[in-house]
Amino acid sequence: MRLADLWYISLALALFSLLIMAGLIITRFFVERHKRKVTLERSRIMPLLLDHSSDPSALSERALSKGLLADLTVELVQLVRGEDRDRFVDAATCGGVTATLVRRLTRGSARARATAAEALAHFRGSDSTAALHAALSDRNCEVRMAAALALAETGREPPIEVLIERLGLGSMQISLLVTNLFQKIADRDPAQIEALITDNDVTINVKSAAVDALTSIRGFALAPVVNALVMELDPDSPELPKLIRALGLFQHPAGIPGVSFHLDSRFGWVRAAAAEAAGRIGMMESSSKLAAMLGDIDWWVRFRSGEALARLGQSGIARLREASRRGIEPARSAARLTLAELGIER
Amino acid sequence: MIEWQPWLIYSAGTIALVVIGVGLIQILFYIIQLGFAAASLAQRPPVSSPSLLWQRYSERALPIAVLAPAYNEEVTIVESVTSLLALHYPEFEVIVINDGSDDRTLRRLIDHFELKSVERYHDLTVKHAQIRGLYASPRIPSLLVVDKENGGKSDALNAGINVARAPLFCSIDADSILESDALLRAVRPFLEKPDEVIAVGGTIRLANGSRIESGRVIDVRLPRNFLALVQIVEYLRAFLMTRLALSRMEALTVISGAFGLFRRRLALEVGGYSHGTVGEDMELVIKLHRHMRLQKKPYRIEFIPEPVCWTEAPENLTILGRQRARWQRGALETFAKHRDMLFNPRYGRIGFIGFGQILIVDVLGPVVEVIGYVLVPLLWAVGLLSIDYLLAFLAITFTFGIFISVATLILEEMELRRFPRASDLIVLTLISVLENLGYRQLSNFWRLLGVWQYLRKKKGWGTMTRKGFARSA
Repeated sequence: MRLADLWYISLALALFSLLIMAGLIITRFFVERHKRKVTLERSRIMPLLLDHSSDPSALSERALSKGLLADLTVELVQLVRGEDRDRFVDAATCGGVTATLVRRLTRGSARARATAAEALAHFRGSDSTAALHAALSDRNCEVRMAAALALAETGREPPIEVLIERLGLGSMQISLLVTNLFQKIADRDPAQIEALITDNDVTINVKSAAVDALTSIRGFALAPVVNALVMELDPDSPELPKLIRALGLFQHPAGIPGVSFHLDSRFGWVRAAAAEAAGRIGMMESSSKLAAMLGDIDWWVRFRSGEALARLGQSGIARLREASRRGIEPARSAARLTLAELGIER
Repeated sequence: MIEWQPWLIYSAGTIALVVIGVGLIQILFYIIQLGFAAASLAQRPPVSSPSLLWQRYSERALPIAVLAPAYNEEVTIVESVTSLLALHYPEFEVIVINDGSDDRTLRRLIDHFELKSVERYHDLTVKHAQIRGLYASPRIPSLLVVDKENGGKSDALNAGINVARAPLFCSIDADSILESDALLRAVRPFLEKPDEVIAVGGTIRLANGSRIESGRVIDVRLPRNFLALVQIVEYLRAFLMTRLALSRMEALTVISGAFGLFRRRLALEVGGYSHGTVGEDMELVIKLHRHMRLQKKPYRIEFIPEPVCWTEAPENLTILGRQRARWQRGALETFAKHRDMLFNPRYGRIGFIGFGQILIVDVLGPVVEVIGYVLVPLLWAVGLLSIDYLLAFLAITFTFGIFISVATLILEEMELRRFPRASDLIVLTLISVLENLGYRQLSNFWRLLGVWQYLRKKKGWGTMTRKGFARSA
């Protein structure tokens, strides 16, 4: 290749790109013109979708753009609730939206497929359900998760073991959306999710997501099993602080052994979580330990210890006052500023 | 026609080949980046509506501390903070750090938001200039103002990191405008890969010419100013092509200081933002890479194109030149400080791709190209170089440049379509051609100035005169 060939190659590339750009600009002009028609069509369709008194089958009798109807449905279905949403979905179904979304679930970009899956959450017919189940085997993980969430939204999901396998939850790091998924399932069948916590074949992050999902539903009833988990876990496990915090949220004495044990962890983030949990559970027996932790090398530990002492009521506040007057730095500042922030006099 | 000595002709040819070679390597880098950026955009997850994002993520969204350093921002500070407080995000606090302003920035904040002096226990892990006071209001629990001695942007951000309590912090410029759902979009990678993602960068777009009301960009328009238009094309290349591609290659070396989301704990572990550099944003990212590599833990630093932060670009040659020289200086400072990472297998892709990019584009690129502008035409004119060399040089500095810019515009139009009018595309296409006729050369000269400033060990930001966003009447 000669040097001058670089000039010809670059010129060809530049001209080619300018040609494509010209094509896109022309397309955009047409799109903008078409947009006006689309806007008119949208304003025609929207009242039909939203008008609750009209016959839902009215949409099927009109010649409407199926694609536009589907797009409008996806946009608006999030804005309506309860019976209004049911009527909205009925109207859209009569208009053929389900079929359009099911088609979109199997073709096009991953982005389009995931959007279709999200929208199908509101369509409970057998076509929609079958398509979503099939989408659990989609090659893209975003689509699979969207399909799982859509099924769980209306109780159509497969057994939890199937979900774990299809979503690959045992083999890779899991998204925090898994907690959303578990929560939707737990709302109807908490036992399925609770079984994960004691299942030896399930990874710790799946168990942790299960605990998260169940915390608001099962509350302190989970404390013994989570306490057992916390005692078994590796001290440097990234899930340990989350589980210790969950023990704190349960506010149950069954969590005391696990929290007490980890107050002495060699990892600052674990000690901090344990201090926080100790305050929430009301572990008065740990007040001297927490007072000593006001001087911890890790700021978060000092901060959480101060918070915890304040939560212990008068005895904890007395410890804070003591430390703010007679303690040595950094405990003194930790105590003083904790009291100041809470508006409590030293 | 002069009969030149063979060794002169040989030397001239060698010089030209070096110039062309370095330029060609840059072009190849850019073409590869275009490919990766295209793949990344084609495979990116759905851009859900804000209501769906809220439904999906709000319960799991990690608390964020938005850190806004402010220095002499009395004109815009109240509006900026008001728009930050209106961000759509489940749990966040806005920490404004008044970095020793000598105007009425602090007074305006205190008066407008009815702030009172408070005490708050905060970390002291990273060093910064003394905090003079903290201000808050029970009416607005999500706002905290830190008043401190002047120490520069890095110093102010470090104070913010110390004071913050959220697991994530978002560094922004006080006069930037975040889109209302920017945090919700930017936090997504942290939720989807919670064990790996440690930092996320979003797109910076230029608001010059757009209509702004109540701290929101309500009508995206192109500016009339040529410099601002050229910078729009530059920013597209920088964000849509380079950063997206490097993120995909897991070799992202910088997250813009105007909008970046970081794990607070890790930022503390690497000592926060470094002092004594004007490239503090790049420096933090490189330190994070080094830290995670040495710990041998899997991690990701990502760039995603959807969350948008709007900012104002300089429309004046002097101020723009100062900015570009400063950016060049910052890149060189970071490169020099961490030069042991270059091509070091211990640092994997960052060492080879990330630092390789910095070496070619930031270290060698401007110097070699400016040498080329001076020597290649001259050597051709006196007959020491054949026309082939001149054509190859023109390809490197002109036509390939047009291709790269227009290709980026094509990506933008096909995947994102954020410019609302077809006429905008016509203007930007024209600018993509014109920028190579003078502006590119000027830009390289500014960068050379940055190199000179670096070699002379110049410090500081210089004077940045802000005209403020143009508000609608």
